[in-house]
Amino acid sequence: MSEMRTCDITGLKIDKTAETMVKLNITTAIIFLAVGGAAALLVLLTRWPAIHLLPVEWYYRWLTAHGLVALIVWILFFEIGLVYFGSAILLNTRIAAPLLAKVVYGMMLVGVSLVAVMVLIGKADVLFTSYVPLQANPLYYLGIVIAAVGMLLGFIHFFINVAVAKKEGKYKKTLPLVAFGIMAASIIGILTIAHGAAIYIPTFIWSLNDFLADQGMAPIIQNIDPEAYRLVWWGLGHPSQQINVCMMVAMWYMTAAFLFDAKPLSEKLCRTAFVLYILFINVASEHHLLVDPVLSTWHKIVNTSYVMHLAVLASMIHAFAVPAAMEAALRKKGYTNGLFEWLKKAPWGNPGFSAIFISIILFGFLGGITGVIFGTEQFSIIRHNTWAITGHFHGTVVAGTTIAFMGAAYQFIPIFFRRELILPAVAKIQPFVYGLGVMILSICMMAAGSFGVPRRHWDYNFSDAPFDYEFDPTVGIFMDLTGVGGVIATVGGAMFIVVTLGSIFAGKKIEK
Amino acid sequence: MSDDGKFEAPGVFTLAIIFLVTFIIIWLAHAKWLTDIWELY
Repeated sequence: MSEMRTCDITGLKIDKTAETMVKLNITTAIIFLAVGGAAALLVLLTRWPAIHLLPVEWYYRWLTAHGLVALIVWILFFEIGLVYFGSAILLNTRIAAPLLAKVVYGMMLVGVSLVAVMVLIGKADVLFTSYVPLQANPLYYLGIVIAAVGMLLGFIHFFINVAVAKKEGKYKKTLPLVAFGIMAASIIGILTIAHGAAIYIPTFIWSLNDFLADQGMAPIIQNIDPEAYRLVWWGLGHPSQQINVCMMVAMWYMTAAFLFDAKPLSEKLCRTAFVLYILFINVASEHHLLVDPVLSTWHKIVNTSYVMHLAVLASMIHAFAVPAAMEAALRKKGYTNGLFEWLKKAPWGNPGFSAIFISIILFGFLGGITGVIFGTEQFSIIRHNTWAITGHFHGTVVAGTTIAFMGAAYQFIPIFFRRELILPAVAKIQPFVYGLGVMILSICMMAAGSFGVPRRHWDYNFSDAPFDYEFDPTVGIFMDLTGVGGVIATVGGAMFIVVTLGSIFAGKKIEK
Repeated sequence: MSDDGKFEAPGVFTLAIIFLVTFIIIWLAHAKWLTDIWELY
């Protein structure tokens, strides 16, 4: 029988094994965030024309590492931690398969470590998308497959835990809203990683061709069709970010419930919005395939307009439902003067709250608005390979998901690690510093991209190209300001790493 | 809307209006900007 304790802060009954897995995954995630952030600084200082730090091959190497570690590894380790939180802990039940949870963690760690090593020793300079016919060392693809299977099993574990909770009568009709959101993310996660397996397993086999030839054996897969690769890969690439959106929104609702005991004004509407995510958000990734001849024009237009807007409708419902729930709860506590007394008197000194509110605002205004505009067919076709898109997804994944997960980490440290935050003054301002930096970075990337500055590019001036090209001089200002924003964000990120890891390993223990 | 017909979250309702107006302005400005830039080339 598993050992349970009752949390003094939330009143939840916490299974010790589930708690250990939450702690392990979240700590690992934060360590990887430090790696991804260091890679981000190197990339940033190279794209900043006044510095242009790295030589070309190291730029693409660190860019590949930054994309994989910051966009996938930090976030997915955190999300697998949330899987155990949303199933076993929120449902006051035990973790159903403790051994499976350990296997999942081990596979993810081995897989991503293999990938990171292959990238950093220069055996996988293929960037985040690893488009064929670019080819990396087979161990790179093997690492991705191992990590992906681990994540897939992690998401499946969510449903095993929920089934056990249902059998033991831990919930009646439906899951609590936060767990429902994590369930939606887990469904999207399974669909997404299935696409990843469908493309990375054959690509791994294809990458073995040189090895097989050395052994005098015939290749098993002679060739991977680039169009087929792109089609299936984007079933992984963009949808993996929709897992993040769903988990981020679940953290918004969790914060409203934990800090204010707030309930949405219409819980049915919020649940409907999660269903809209499941049904429509993945197909919005078709904007990556607008110039591919595989899909018909009708298909592209429908998916990048009507279908995408149904997913966007879901985000707008959540983005208003969460602050509305907070406002209603705070008004009940007496903050009723004017329109915004509740907001002025909200606990801005608590980084668990401020990070979440900053995430809601920046995700809506930066990532959300630009996502709708850039995702629309007519705009996407012009914008897609510019730095504006990099600005957009730093507005969603960083200003939205990463800041929300930072807020969740601040709330989890006293609950699961049972330690006080170290450097409370630093923690108090950290979400504002990080949010400001990411906001400047994201807006200036979008501005520079609007003048045609290419994304990913080491030498945006094309100085060795056989043709001359000069950007509007305004571009230089935006490139410099992007650098400034990035440095501020790096400082904010470092503050988060110091406070959270310091608190986890050396914070004062909370006895009761 | 509460049972007595009052707004339960008038502040967020106001924020929602600000958001939607900003959304429309950015969309239109973006379309105009792109059109202008494309006419330059």
